[in-house]
Amino acid sequence: MNGRLRWWAGVLVPFALLAAGRWVLPLPFVVEVLIFSVYTMACNFLLGRVGFISFGQPAYLAAGAYGTAFYLYYFGRDPLVGILVGLASGAVFSALVGLVFVRLRSDYFALVNLALAVIVYHLMQKVLAPITKGDNGLWFLDRMSSTPLLDLARPDGFVWFAWLVAVGVWALYKYLDDTVFGACCLATKTNEDKVKFLGYHDFKVRWTAFVLANTTAALAGSLYGVYFGFVSPEMASAARAADPVVVTILGGTGTLYGPLVGAVAFVGMKDLVSGVVGNWEFFVGLLLVVIMLAGERGIWGTLEPWLRRRLVWRRPAPALQE
Amino acid sequence: MGPQILLAEHLTKRFGSFVAVDRVDFSLHEGEVVGIVGPNGAGKTTFFNLVTGYHTPDEGRVLFLGQDVTRASPRRRVELGLVRTFQLASTFDALPVVDNLILALFSRLHSGSDVRRLLATPRRRYYDDPRVQDALEQFHLSARRDRVVRHLSLGEKRRLEIAMAVLSNPRVLMLDEPLAGLSELEIHQVMDVLRSQVGRRSLVVVEHKVSHLLGFVQRLMVMHEGRVIAEGSPEECLKDPEVRRSYWRVGAESA
Repeated sequence: MNGRLRWWAGVLVPFALLAAGRWVLPLPFVVEVLIFSVYTMACNFLLGRVGFISFGQPAYLAAGAYGTAFYLYYFGRDPLVGILVGLASGAVFSALVGLVFVRLRSDYFALVNLALAVIVYHLMQKVLAPITKGDNGLWFLDRMSSTPLLDLARPDGFVWFAWLVAVGVWALYKYLDDTVFGACCLATKTNEDKVKFLGYHDFKVRWTAFVLANTTAALAGSLYGVYFGFVSPEMASAARAADPVVVTILGGTGTLYGPLVGAVAFVGMKDLVSGVVGNWEFFVGLLLVVIMLAGERGIWGTLEPWLRRRLVWRRPAPALQE
Repeated sequence: MGPQILLAEHLTKRFGSFVAVDRVDFSLHEGEVVGIVGPNGAGKTTFFNLVTGYHTPDEGRVLFLGQDVTRASPRRRVELGLVRTFQLASTFDALPVVDNLILALFSRLHSGSDVRRLLATPRRRYYDDPRVQDALEQFHLSARRDRVVRHLSLGEKRRLEIAMAVLSNPRVLMLDEPLAGLSELEIHQVMDVLRSQVGRRSLVVVEHKVSHLLGFVQRLMVMHEGRVIAEGSPEECLKDPEVRRSYWRVGAESA
C-alpha cells in the first residue's frame, strides 16, 4: 500500500464505520456522536498538541451556536449560511479572547476559560435577554429553509452534513500534524523557551492554534444549533465545561482517533446506558478513573498498539506522538 | 581577529538584594573562541541570560553588530545571528530528532513569525534536506533520526541541541555548560563537534571545569561572585593570584 492510499484508508475506515452506524443506531445518537467528536477534536488539539487545558469550551460552543441562532432567528432562513455565520462569529470571538488568554500560563488559562464560560452564560441568560430571550432560548426550527442536495433542516439530511463536517475537521487536524506548524505547536507544548530561542514567534503560533481550535468548537455549536433548531444559554453552562476535556482524556489525548472513540464512548454512555440505569455520569467517572490508573493513554491510546500488532499496521512517517 | 561583533557594557542584574551580575564588560570579535569560567553561582549563566535576552539587565547595555539589543526579544537576537544553548540540554522531547532539526532549519530559512508559511509547509518536505542530513551525520545522529528525543542519552541530546543551534547558522554561538553531566567519551564527542565550528562562527562557552577549555579557547574570562576577576589568555588567567585565591579549583584542576 502506498502512503496516499494508507492515508485515505486512515480517514475513511473510522468514518465509514460511523456512517454505517447511521442505519444500525438511532439517528440522534449518531448525530450527537458526530457533533461531539468535532467539539472534542478542538479540545484534543488544544490539550494534546499545544498543552492548553481549557475548562471553558462551552463559551466557544455558545459563540458559534448564538451566531447561527441570531442569523436564523432574526435575519435569514438558510441553515448553511447560518453555520457560516456561526463559524465566523466563533473565529472573531476566539481571535479577540485569544489575544489575552494565550499569554497565560496553563493553570490560569484553564480557570480563566471557565470564568469566560460563566460570563457568556450570564450574558446570554440575563444581560442580552431582550435579544436572546433568556432561558426560553431562540427557536428557529420552522424558520429554516430546505437546502439543495442535503436538506439541513431535516435530521436525515443533517446527519450526512454533520458526517462531512466531522470528516473535514478530522482531516484538517491530520493535516496540521503533518505540517511544520504542527511540529511547532508540539514544540511549544514541551519547551516554550526553546521555541523562542530558536527564533519563533511563539505567541503567534499559540494564538493561531487557539483560534483554529476554538473556531472548531464554535462550529460544533453551530451544528448543534441547526440540528435542534434551538439555542439557549444552557449551551454555555459551566456545568458541562469539563465534558470535552473528559472525553479527550477518555479517548486518548493527542491521538487522532481519540476524539472519535471518546465521543462514541461518552455519548454511548449518556444515551444508551442512561436508558438502562440512571446516573450515567457515575459510569463515566468510574471509567475515567480506571483509564487514568491504566496509564493515562485513554481508550484509543490503549487499543492502538494492540490493533497495530494484530493488523501489521505500519505508518509511513514518524507520527507526532503525545 | 575580525571586527568586534558583540559588546556588553556594565551589565548588572540584581535579584532582590542579591547582585548576580555586577558591572560586567565583555566584548567578542568575529571568529573568536572565548571561555567563561567560574565556580557555581559566579553569575556565568545569568550573564549569558542577559546577553541572549532571557533576562533584561538592570543596568548596562548589549550591542550586537552595532545595534543596541539590550531590550530586544530573544527572537530578534536570533534573527540577527545570536544563538544560544541551555545548561539543561534544551530540545523538544516529544518530537523525533529529525523534527527538532527541521524546526531549527525552518526558522533560519524563513522567519519564525511567518505563521502562514508554517501552516502551508509539510514537515516531510525537509526530511531529506541535505542540510538536515549533514547535521545528522556531522553530529553522529543519523542512527537516531526518527527516535523521539525523550529516549536519547544526555550526550545525544547535547549534540542535538548544538546541531540545532548550528543549523540556525549564527554569527555567535553561545553554549551554556555544554559538557555538564557528560561521560568522558561524550565530552570527547561534544568537543569534537565544537572544534568543527571554530573558524565558522564566534563561540562563547560557559564551563565549570576550566581543564576542558584549555587548548580550545583563545581567551578566558573568569567570574566570581558576579564580577569579572580576570580576563586574557588562559595561561595568564590561571597564573593570576586573585583567580588562584578565589577559585583555587581552577588552578588545581588545570594542574
